[in-house]
Amino acid sequence: MKTYDLYKLLKEELKNGSSDLVTRPSGQVIRERIETDIRREGDRAVIALDFSNIGIIDYSCADEIAAKLISRLLSNEYGDKYILLKGLNDNQKENIEVALERKDLAAVAEMRDGQRVLIGNLNNYLKETLELVLKKDRITAKDISEIMKLGANTSGTRLLNLHKKRLVRRVEGVRNGGRVWVYEKI
Amino acid sequence: MPEDHQDEGWKDNLRDSKNDCRYNRIMTHLSDDNFESFLSHISASELIDLRNLNFIDPYGMVGILEAGRFYHSGNVKKKLLLPESEDVLKYLERMDFFDYASCYFCLSPGKTELPDKFLRSSNSAVLLEITPIEKSDDIHFIVGKVKKRAHAILERHLFYDERAINGFIVALSEVCQNIIEHSENTGLAGIQKYHFRKINKNVVKISVMDLGIGFKESLSERVAVKDDLDAIEKALLHGVSRHEDRGRGHGLAGVRRFVNQWKGKLSIRSGTAKFSIIPDWGWGMERENNLLYFPGAQINIMLPEV
Repeated sequence: MKTYDLYKLLKEELKNGSSDLVTRPSGQVIRERIETDIRREGDRAVIALDFSNIGIIDYSCADEIAAKLISRLLSNEYGDKYILLKGLNDNQKENIEVALERKDLAAVAEMRDGQRVLIGNLNNYLKETLELVLKKDRITAKDISEIMKLGANTSGTRLLNLHKKRLVRRVEGVRNGGRVWVYEKI
Repeated sequence: MPEDHQDEGWKDNLRDSKNDCRYNRIMTHLSDDNFESFLSHISASELIDLRNLNFIDPYGMVGILEAGRFYHSGNVKKKLLLPESEDVLKYLERMDFFDYASCYFCLSPGKTELPDKFLRSSNSAVLLEITPIEKSDDIHFIVGKVKKRAHAILERHLFYDERAINGFIVALSEVCQNIIEHSENTGLAGIQKYHFRKINKNVVKISVMDLGIGFKESLSERVAVKDDLDAIEKALLHGVSRHEDRGRGHGLAGVRRFVNQWKGKLSIRSGTAKFSIIPDWGWGMERENNLLYFPGAQINIMLPEV
């Protein structure tokens, strides 16, 4: 996992001594820097945007950074990558969530206490499946079928949808001598 | 800081003035409540008489400055007769009012004639002195400054918790950004805490104004708007923005949510209209139209202690 310290980026890019992610123009500058760096990362890289040392994030900046990055990630603009929002406090989570919901997006966030949560909009059945992936760390469609008492197709589709939304990472694995897709938490 | 006074803000007075008017309306307080009267006064007179002023809030103060800036942009420098009340003068000084007023008005008495005793005291309820908003960095500055003072004022006097303080600062940031994103001009902001006798509570008042294109012209680039009132309602209640992007337009909506949540009062005046969200304890009209034209937008937020 690659961690981008947003406070460090803020200091480098804005040079105004602020620790707050406020205003759309500031968000745009930070997003463009992140986009440049993300494109240099290898395939299937997980990029953690670390908010630990950030103070306030307002709605405009949350839209400019989190919502636009996630939206472009889903349109495959950065290649096969994943984004995790890390080190969030409750206030930051709340404001980023508003920005994501507005665009019907979702992201996985790791709160300051280490807890992984989903923020934004996601169907309930996908939420349930994601919670299971977060709990188990890695899972296959067969595991989901057994635990949730679902048909193999349904389990596979759910995991594939989560992967398309970049909320879980998909890797090849071997089970009982056969190749299967394994879905991991990012 | 003087407490608010709940009279109508104006007194009729017969006077033999050197300033050529025998019959004057004397202003005793200036706030969002009587800003319309103030605008009529300033548009009709070369002289603004604040001598009898015994209360002014951030809206009144920023309003005077923006009106002065407006006339000054047309090469008119009106004369401002400063308040005689020491309390009011001290407050104006603490809010850095004179730094700006001296640019846009001929002050009487002049700034240098003000006694030293009006130098600011460190025990201040000022959350943000009058601050210009011209670029994104100004908002970082405002947010940084308010954050430093938020605990001393918002926590102590309004009993806000961490979440409410965060909401307050985000709302402030979004309101100020409105100027940079939409006005095509610059603006001023000021914030003050005081005791509001009408509801016997501490309140914080945020005032943010600009001299820009206003809500109607800004929105009409993209959507049909009937008039100023329609434009304010579209922006505030329906999240309509001049930008097409789905992520736009939730700044003001977020401000509205915050103000509602903390039972505050919010009013937006633009062009010839004013729209207000009035809580249970509040007063005034929700919708006002056909007001005296004034450019840009004038935003007022009043938040009571919880």
